[in-house]
Amino acid sequence: MRIPTWSAAALAVCLASALQAGAQTRYNTQPVGNSVRVNGTSTAHDWEMDGSLIGGYIEFGAGVTLDKSQSAPAGLQDGKIPATAYVHIPVGSIHAKVDHLPEVMDSLMQKAMKAENFPRIDFTLKEMTFKAPHTAGKPFDMEVAGQLVIAGVTNNASFPVTLEPLDGGKIKISGSAPVKMTAYGVPPPAPNFGLGLMRCGDDVKVSFDWTLKEKIKEKK
Amino acid sequence: MNKKNNLPESNRRDFLKNTSLATMMAMMGGVELRAEDAAKSTPAPDSGLTKIPPAPPINVGVVGLGDWGRQILGTLAILNTAREKPSAPVAAICDTYHAAIRRGGKDAPNAQSYEDYTKLLADPNVQAVIIATPTGTHREIALAALAAGKHVYCEAPLANTMDDAKAIAKAARDAVKLVFQPGLQQRSHPQIQFLLPYIRSGALGKNIMVRAQWHANTSWYHAAPTQEREDALNWRLRNATSTGLFGEEGIHQMDTVSNFLRGRPSAVTGFSSMMRANVNNRETPDTVQAVFEYPHGVQFFHDLTICNSYEKTCEVYLGDEAAMMMRDFKAWLFKESNAALGGWEVYARHDTFYDATGIALVANASKQTTLSGSAESFHPYEHEPLYYALDAFTSKAGWQNKEVKEYEEYYPDADAQTLLDHLKTVPALTSKPAANWQDGLDATVMAITANQAAIKKQKITFEKEWFEL
Repeated sequence: MRIPTWSAAALAVCLASALQAGAQTRYNTQPVGNSVRVNGTSTAHDWEMDGSLIGGYIEFGAGVTLDKSQSAPAGLQDGKIPATAYVHIPVGSIHAKVDHLPEVMDSLMQKAMKAENFPRIDFTLKEMTFKAPHTAGKPFDMEVAGQLVIAGVTNNASFPVTLEPLDGGKIKISGSAPVKMTAYGVPPPAPNFGLGLMRCGDDVKVSFDWTLKEKIKEKK
Repeated sequence: MNKKNNLPESNRRDFLKNTSLATMMAMMGGVELRAEDAAKSTPAPDSGLTKIPPAPPINVGVVGLGDWGRQILGTLAILNTAREKPSAPVAAICDTYHAAIRRGGKDAPNAQSYEDYTKLLADPNVQAVIIATPTGTHREIALAALAAGKHVYCEAPLANTMDDAKAIAKAARDAVKLVFQPGLQQRSHPQIQFLLPYIRSGALGKNIMVRAQWHANTSWYHAAPTQEREDALNWRLRNATSTGLFGEEGIHQMDTVSNFLRGRPSAVTGFSSMMRANVNNRETPDTVQAVFEYPHGVQFFHDLTICNSYEKTCEVYLGDEAAMMMRDFKAWLFKESNAALGGWEVYARHDTFYDATGIALVANASKQTTLSGSAESFHPYEHEPLYYALDAFTSKAGWQNKEVKEYEEYYPDADAQTLLDHLKTVPALTSKPAANWQDGLDATVMAITANQAAIKKQKITFEKEWFEL
């Protein structure tokens, strides 16, 4: 049986659309637009550490589209966005934001976090929940839950994030998570500077901006 | 703009703020303020502080095994024994002269020997290259080394010509994954680092002038068994292959002055003479003087000779409130009678020079043990400047390798600029100060121009584009 040329073309377009709708969309980390900040307290003063390396990806399930002009992302399932994600941050890339000898603070923190044996902080996403209402044009508010691994210790963690679609097939995920160091077996550093003991507080806040770009599917 | 001291962007408050921790620690318990110790930050055993982790080791190849090349090998040997594990093992050495290789091999017994530098560059075991060959050969070797993906330490001056210097600087600038350090070793010395914010904070008042001298009683002549070898060894005596006393010796003082004054000169007037009987057919003058004109009317008088060693090497910075003399990497402050006292001077070491009293600026002057002995016998720093420069270079190269590898693992598609931006945020890459390609280009341009001005006995105005790529 001969199939008319126009029919074959239409069939091909329909098939492609169906595949697109059914395909997962993967976003990979980008080198620009990433930052990690760790804010803590101590008996002397508050402190901050910064980094810019964030590795990993997020993959959205079939049918998920992120259009911030809409009231909600398309493709929600029971208010949740079907997605998988894996994030990792090298401990050695987070540096103390002080003028004087930042390497000392870096070294203290890396030692406390057993960086030699556990060089990365990992987060594996288990659930991403959309938080309505959404104001058109603004980033989407989400609550993420997953497993956070620090210094080789795994704990469940959940925290709010915002997800903002950007131009050029990019998205930016921003958020901050409270972390209790001792919950991960990390003793709060307590350096003795000769003027007395300075003890860091147990609670820190980890904030991040993570920029990703949609992975272009390779032609086969 | 701070008109009082001709120095923008910095003031005494900044200086005090930036050094407040060290100052406070000194006040509380006599902790040495010496910059060397601040950089090491070795804590007391029970302090809870950890040592700064050592840089990943880096395998070094040394090209050029003359007097200075062997000095470099000796310094690397000291550097490698100073730590638990060698930080910069010498993997290869190279010289075109077999006897030089044999002598150099004594300080690097495990190194592979080469007579052809291209073979050393092809050695995958070599990660960083130190170039200590005659100045005119730097361009070829430095460019090939950077192209081969090796970190480069290139002795100063970078080159004999502006073109060669710019070619090296451009290759260094473009090789963002690699460390390039010109051999301006004083930039890495802890005493210079300690004095830099002090001088820039306006401690001398308004800058008036700078004087520097390099005096030695020598000839630069090397005897050799053959005429060919003698010609090769005596490249410093020929104008075609040497930038003379300004390039081979004075460049370090020029660099320090520009560093302290935070600027470039606008012109240089030079003088030169051949004061000794010329028995070796030398062309480069044995005595030179220059006056560099810096912004705000500050002049830098520089004189060098190999005919007389009187007072050897020293630099004097004069301000309208005080003068500072630097000698043997020690410094003294001479305050004018109308200058305000800060109070700390009372506790500092004092040395008398004829009828002037100098207040020691070695930073640990408040420590009792430093208050004894003469000004000449007092040596606050353990190592020569070359040690600190090579320490900075090998440390930076080691960290750079680690950081670049990690960054590329995370962002394989990143462009050179984003990598460069990231590297600027890594404290380990900036914790040990060192000269960069721009410093190397600036100092080389100054040395070449001063040498030309001296030979021609004329004034030459620096063009802005000479310092730019």
